[in-house]
Amino acid sequence: MTNALEAKDLEIRFGGQVVLRGFSLALSVGEKALLTGPSGCGKSTVLRTFLGFVVPGAGAVYINGTQLTTDTVWRLRQRVAYVGQEPDLGTGTAAQAIERPFHYRANAGLRRNLDRIPELFDQFNLAHELLHKDVGALSGGEKQRIALVSAILLDRRIFLLDEITSALDKVSKQAVADYFRSREDATVLIVAHDPEVFSFVRRVIELPCNPKTRGTA
Amino acid sequence: MNEIVDIGPWQLAAAYLLLVFPLAIILWYRIPMLGETVISLIRMTVQLLLVGLYLQVIFRLNILWLNAAWLLVMVIVADVSIVRSCGLRLRQIALPLFLALAAGTAVPLMLFTGLILRRPNLLDAQYAIPIGGMILGNCLRADIVGIRTFYESIRSTEKAFLQSLAEGASLPEAIRPYVRKATQAALAPTVATMATIGLVSLPGMMTGVILGGASPATAIKYQISIMISIFSGTAITVALGIRLTTRSSFTPYGLLDLTVFRNRSKK
Repeated sequence: MTNALEAKDLEIRFGGQVVLRGFSLALSVGEKALLTGPSGCGKSTVLRTFLGFVVPGAGAVYINGTQLTTDTVWRLRQRVAYVGQEPDLGTGTAAQAIERPFHYRANAGLRRNLDRIPELFDQFNLAHELLHKDVGALSGGEKQRIALVSAILLDRRIFLLDEITSALDKVSKQAVADYFRSREDATVLIVAHDPEVFSFVRRVIELPCNPKTRGTA
Repeated sequence: MNEIVDIGPWQLAAAYLLLVFPLAIILWYRIPMLGETVISLIRMTVQLLLVGLYLQVIFRLNILWLNAAWLLVMVIVADVSIVRSCGLRLRQIALPLFLALAAGTAVPLMLFTGLILRRPNLLDAQYAIPIGGMILGNCLRADIVGIRTFYESIRSTEKAFLQSLAEGASLPEAIRPYVRKATQAALAPTVATMATIGLVSLPGMMTGVILGGASPATAIKYQISIMISIFSGTAITVALGIRLTTRSSFTPYGLLDLTVFRNRSKK
């Protein structure tokens, strides 16, 4: 069976220094995994490699069995939802930030998903009034949850989550964990400094750390 | 109307007497710009003398290819000046920006001399060189604002830009908000100038046409035409400049290629 996410013999360099060498992973469809390792070892970099934001010096990444290259990257990005630690929601209101991706041609057929906003706001303990609030006035935790709602609405089956619960209270963290536990169809690769939140995730992938380059990635 | 009065060498020398006031102020308050001022004055005098001599020859000969070559030199100088002012690398940006500047200058200039002035020779030195220079000068200013705003905005909000790519945006879709912001910043000064022109001061071309002996009625028609040509030229050059330079300044993955900046560290 084809893996949803796969990395083979990745080598990643920053400023001439090797951050990661010979790293491989494979997640089958619906599998959830935590990517762990000391700070600065390249966990976020691995997630960004799956989006083509970091280009490996050697090795390759695959999404649903297709290698990510300059030819496939635009198509493959449409299969993956990425939520970062401190999301930049741009300008305007929260509603405008959520609607923005639906103006892209790739997501034009998904506009009906916007009807799910109230349901998802309830699920993640977000007050509906926040939709009319300027994104600049939102707290870190609200931004994280709104970015998550936006990613969910895009109907992707693969999630790359980078510290998405770092600014959340206990109740909201649990809501996020409950959501992904219930998504049996979704493949999820999680970077988290509070892995106990995702206690339901059985698979833990430890990133080998090069002490010489620690803190550079 | 009278012919314009020429300025003889002694009368021109008298103009330099007016420097007494700014130089006295600089010296009295010990403003640290005396050396810079003197160098600027010398440069202005030498540059304009050389340009004056050269233009005298070009105007006398009025040969089509020579006029075109002069305009081309002006576009190249403007091109290099913009790339350097924006802190970008010549190798990646100069050629596409040259094409944008050439189009932004040539299109309104040709329409001005051909359609408005109905000159049989579109590159008649008397019209093409001063009008082309005015359009190009404004394109230069607009491009410095527009191109710099575009690249610096993407660099400073990289996270939001990457997020749009992650959400499925194509490169044209991802850069659209930045193109909008940069073009607005570049066009805003011309729009503001059009709104106040004639109220605050008499604009350059109108002054020139009046001094040249034409009536104020003729002068305002020239001024209206040049303002619209400038607006049109700046819009063309900024939009085209951004569009053409993106081909060489983004990687095939849609990321801004940081080698485009002379100083690669984030500001």
